[in-house]
Amino acid sequence: MRQSRLGVSALSLVGGLLIWEGMSRLYVDNSLFLAAPSQIAFAIYKLAVSGDLARHVEISAAEFAIGYVIASVIGIAMGLVMAESERAKGILQPWISGLYATPTIALAPLFLLWLGIGIWSKVLVVITLVLFPVVINTEAGLRTTSIRLIEMLKSFGATRRQIFVKISLPSAAPFVLAGLKLGIGRGLIAVVVAELFGSRAGLGQLISQSADAFNMPNLFAAVVILATAGIAMTAGFTWLEKRLVPWTQD
Amino acid sequence: MAEGRAVAATAPKLRVAGLCKKFTDLEVLSQIGIDIADGEFISIVGPSGCGKTTFLRIVAGLEQASAGEVQIDGSPVTGPGIDRGFVFQSDNLLPWRTVLNNALIGPEVAGTASPQAKSRTLELLKLVGLAGFEQYFPRQLSGGMRQRVNLARALAVDPKILLMDEPFAALDAQTREIMQTELTRIWEQGRKTVLFVTHQIDEAVFLSDRVLVFARRPGRLREAINIALPRPRALGLKRTPDFVRYVDHIWSLIEEDVRQSVLHEGR
Repeated sequence: MRQSRLGVSALSLVGGLLIWEGMSRLYVDNSLFLAAPSQIAFAIYKLAVSGDLARHVEISAAEFAIGYVIASVIGIAMGLVMAESERAKGILQPWISGLYATPTIALAPLFLLWLGIGIWSKVLVVITLVLFPVVINTEAGLRTTSIRLIEMLKSFGATRRQIFVKISLPSAAPFVLAGLKLGIGRGLIAVVVAELFGSRAGLGQLISQSADAFNMPNLFAAVVILATAGIAMTAGFTWLEKRLVPWTQD
Repeated sequence: MAEGRAVAATAPKLRVAGLCKKFTDLEVLSQIGIDIADGEFISIVGPSGCGKTTFLRIVAGLEQASAGEVQIDGSPVTGPGIDRGFVFQSDNLLPWRTVLNNALIGPEVAGTASPQAKSRTLELLKLVGLAGFEQYFPRQLSGGMRQRVNLARALAVDPKILLMDEPFAALDAQTREIMQTELTRIWEQGRKTVLFVTHQIDEAVFLSDRVLVFARRPGRLREAINIALPRPRALGLKRTPDFVRYVDHIWSLIEEDVRQSVLHEGR
């Protein structure tokens, strides 16, 4: 079953690439408007050989990683505080609900103004985008802890701390992981868009520079690399979920 | 002794005296008083809303009585503790723990986890029929097996009293009968004091030395019936005239209550 589904998926991917290749070579036939997969592959190869690719990827990866880690740590901590204290929830909830729904990415130019053109303005954008799903999921995960399980532990005379460590934390783990997983895509968007507003290097900068030069193969190259990174990290998380929270599977 | 009661030859394991419970204005339990001897298997039956589960939860320390007292070996119950083991209606197993680690959570919480506690728990898992399943996860087990873990978990703290809240209610009829005989078999090994809440009269008679029949509105003890049936007991007992007589008698005690609750409250 699973094997055949994977086979179909692979076939769909290869078929899609072939249609894309055919369209761009036979129908559009103009790399100004659409680059063929083969041209994109070649562009990636050239960027890699010249060393440009490593430079761009390094910068973007650093911005993403720093922002993502900070957002995860703060997000989980805030989620814990909100789940534990009604007052903290009262204070933070309106801001979190409000800012989660706001396209905070629009604030990127402001951050650029504050923190300059270097990586820290991008890090801040990543933080603002990744933080919210992590906070919201952590808090929700802790709050939805089964009352029955808590009562089971209470029947043995468990302390609040024991209930938290042995019941609340593990039952929140799948939610926290889901929040972190959501953060990956948002973090990547944050990096690219923040770089579009102004940067010296990075995949977003490569995209904007290629767009200005009508270099579609290079533009697509950056997009493909971002997509690959996103897919790889999400797959990594799915693997991690299978290992860490296997009871939520199947 | 309080209330001028005669001193029993042996002090009761569990003494409940003048127990009342009110939820705001609703009187759930009224003046429950009972002495239970060490090693007695007691079932509590009664119509829905007679407060039998609330009674069990008060004995467990999960709820506070509004008045009256619960004593175990002469000392009053003030909260939950590992001198009682609670077997829940839903198994309440932790999905991230193996069978063994689920069963070990009581000693872990009580700070008595040790190699000895572990080997005792392994023995208990064998006793409840789960040898070979120690490293399985709850999602890999059937409902009956999960209830066995539930039971082993309560026994793992070696409680003085086992409190069981309709533990077989969610099982299908066949599994339920098997679990009843299993429970008597396990109980024969240690003869712990058991308080067993159930809806099912035949289950109560089959398992118990004494059946406490509760009435409703307010919840109160209507009658305590000694079940003088020989042990060890097998399922065939359920077809004997003596057994049926006990069941009929208990049913006659609660029939009117049940009828009232079904007809007038839709439950």
